[in-house]
Amino acid sequence: MSPDLVPRLDPIPLPGPPWLFQVLLVLTFFLHVVFMNLTLGGTLLAAVAQARAGGVGDYRSTLASRLMGINTYGISLTITTGIAPLLFVQLLYQQFFYSATILIGGVWLAFLGMLLVGYYAAYAYKFRGAPAARPGRGRGGGAGWLALAAVLFLLIAMVHVAVNLIHAQPGKWAALAANPWSILADRVYWPRLLHFLFASLGFSALVAAWWAVRQARAGREPELNGEIAGWAWRWVLWTTLLQVADGFVLLFVLPREVLLGLMRGGLATLLPLGAAIVLGLGLLMMISRVRRPVEEPGTVTGVLAAMLLTIAVMSITRQQVRALYLEPVTSGVELASAPQWGNVVLFALLLIAGLAVVGYMVREVLRHPATGPEAA
Amino acid sequence: MDYPIFDVGIGGGVLMGMVAITHVIVAHFAIGGGLVIAASETLAARRGDRELRELAKRSSLMLILVSTVFGAISGVGIWVVAGLISPATISALIHTYVWGWAIEWTFFIVEIVAALVYYATWDRIARRTHVMIGWIYFVAAYLSLVVINGIVTFMLTPGRWLETGAFWDGFFNPTYWPALVLRTGIVLVMAVSFMVFPALRASPAARPRLARWLGGWLLAGVALAYAGYRWWEAALPESTRALFLGERPGLTALADTRSFLLWALTAVLGLGLLVLVAAPRALRRPTAALLMVAGFAFFGGYERLREGVRKPFLIHDYMFSNGILVSEIARLNEEGILSRAGWAAHAAAEDPAGAGRAIFRAQCASCHTLDGYQALRPLIDPDFIEANLYALWEQGGEYVPGEPVDKAKLDYPFMPPFVGTEDELAALAGYLSSLAVPAPPTVAGGGP
Repeated sequence: MSPDLVPRLDPIPLPGPPWLFQVLLVLTFFLHVVFMNLTLGGTLLAAVAQARAGGVGDYRSTLASRLMGINTYGISLTITTGIAPLLFVQLLYQQFFYSATILIGGVWLAFLGMLLVGYYAAYAYKFRGAPAARPGRGRGGGAGWLALAAVLFLLIAMVHVAVNLIHAQPGKWAALAANPWSILADRVYWPRLLHFLFASLGFSALVAAWWAVRQARAGREPELNGEIAGWAWRWVLWTTLLQVADGFVLLFVLPREVLLGLMRGGLATLLPLGAAIVLGLGLLMMISRVRRPVEEPGTVTGVLAAMLLTIAVMSITRQQVRALYLEPVTSGVELASAPQWGNVVLFALLLIAGLAVVGYMVREVLRHPATGPEAA
Repeated sequence: MDYPIFDVGIGGGVLMGMVAITHVIVAHFAIGGGLVIAASETLAARRGDRELRELAKRSSLMLILVSTVFGAISGVGIWVVAGLISPATISALIHTYVWGWAIEWTFFIVEIVAALVYYATWDRIARRTHVMIGWIYFVAAYLSLVVINGIVTFMLTPGRWLETGAFWDGFFNPTYWPALVLRTGIVLVMAVSFMVFPALRASPAARPRLARWLGGWLLAGVALAYAGYRWWEAALPESTRALFLGERPGLTALADTRSFLLWALTAVLGLGLLVLVAAPRALRRPTAALLMVAGFAFFGGYERLREGVRKPFLIHDYMFSNGILVSEIARLNEEGILSRAGWAAHAAAEDPAGAGRAIFRAQCASCHTLDGYQALRPLIDPDFIEANLYALWEQGGEYVPGEPVDKAKLDYPFMPPFVGTEDELAALAGYLSSLAVPAPPTVAGGGP
């Protein structure tokens, strides 16, 4: 370890108890990662579906358009929900986080450019390239925009996994300063990246299948939606299978102290980790038993709920793994705090009010659909 | 200072300027655009004005593409760049204002969802509902400005916060209200600067009417911006005003920036009166582009002035541009800068002759490059460098923790003091001397 390279703590005390910020970090990260899964996995899945589609009218082409139709909004929500965990991680782990981003400053900065181009590429596909939007043009230009967005989002995931591993391991900073690319040789790097990748593919495929099942059950293009659901469901199955396998690999390639810390952490660490493993295996069983998702809408919805729950408990484990990684340099360090309780209450009230306004808007929109002269 | 240094060839300040100025332009459009779009749709519904409604609709696509994409990403970009070039500052700001940002985030969620819903539901939901969503968007967007304005103005005029460290003392600081009025004007100027382009796509018959409608908003924006700007100037501490105001301003570059922004605002007013109000048929792409350039020039000029008068601080009277705190000058003079600059010391340890370079990286590199932006090499005179640094070291005595400094008294009002031991001063002087551009050889006899 080179603790001398760890910058000193900010002299200004935390404006709230550390546990509160940790809870907020995990909660908001969970929200972010749900949308992030749709952005990353949905775009990759759309790119694959688009590439495999036989032509206009192919159900995979419809699936690609559908996924990207929601993704242009989903990307916005990924960024919006990403702001809060980025805020709290800077607050709680400033000396580690900033050092890590500086050590790979070039690529960290580049992620902004990749996000910008990827986002506009998603819009370009939606407005210009999507086969559904330009019938008769086949699968030409649009596929290129989609592939570009997919590659860029994958690169962004790689950057984020790198920053997370670097910030948690100050002992490697001196070596990383000499060769930042060596983070790719960290034995945790690739299993961790795959863990996010499989989750995002599986979750997006599941959302696509769930939506198609709902549409089919409502009598809207049952055949097309049946095909989409069947195709997406196979993706859910295979990525979940790979995810469970990769999850065990990731667990056992963790540094020994981190793994031991998880095992010795008592209920606090074993409960979320155990729940995630049980949920993962349970999901696999539930998914593999569904032959035709359109005929089992209840199970499909159950799988979606179980997957969301799995992501939630994994978010807790992820935070605990970070804490265990950093334990050698943080043990005995007490974060000073001078809570601003008034602001905590104000934030909580405004968050509730904000979410209520969001709920109100969505409800109003659903309640007052209109077409023709009555429409806005 | 005790973080690793992110070497960016163009200079950290330039990078931040590029990201921040493009972000604020777009972000202010997002707010003002929200108001003008919502008002346009409301009025269009009342009057049955299809062209005005189309203006709102086309502008909402622009709002989505420019604001929710570029604005959101460049907003994150400000944190990203700040974390790379001045991590200690952004950390101090976040420690002080995390709840401010968290509160702003709640508004931001509403703003983004409202923007997406608003855009996606044209022609799909009842008019009243759609108009209402437009107004919800604007209110949420404006409230986010109300919050961020507190944090931005705090950096320049932290006010009573220096004594109390209390959130609200820093938030409602001496320039909070003037800056809010000024920015309210700016959001309208930015809205019109962007919306004249969708207005150009209206039918020739409707264009003058739409131009006048936008002209009204522009004039209101200019009036608010001017009043807010003058109020902002008046609210600044006297020693800061002296830097760029009066007959003999302390820093002519800043005085020039002030003239520039006021002329740019005059140009906005003149162009607005001409092509939007008096002769709206003159609204064409080139005149619209001129109006937009003038608007950006005014806003960019103000942002540059605001950043400029804050130097040498990142948080006025609390933290210098290089991350060193006013409160630690004395201790660092005693213990040495390398006692705290872990990364710089690490570099020095690997290269024993590199202590001077390490001190440069710890104290100077956050603003200066060697040959690029704010290049140091051409300024170095080996005969005087030690004396210059000594003067900068002495200047540290002018700063008293918790008290505002009188910048008019400083020999180098833009520069943080040099802090560190005498040995460190000598090491830095030696390093800088070694960089100096050699004087051109003198030819015996001189002259051609």
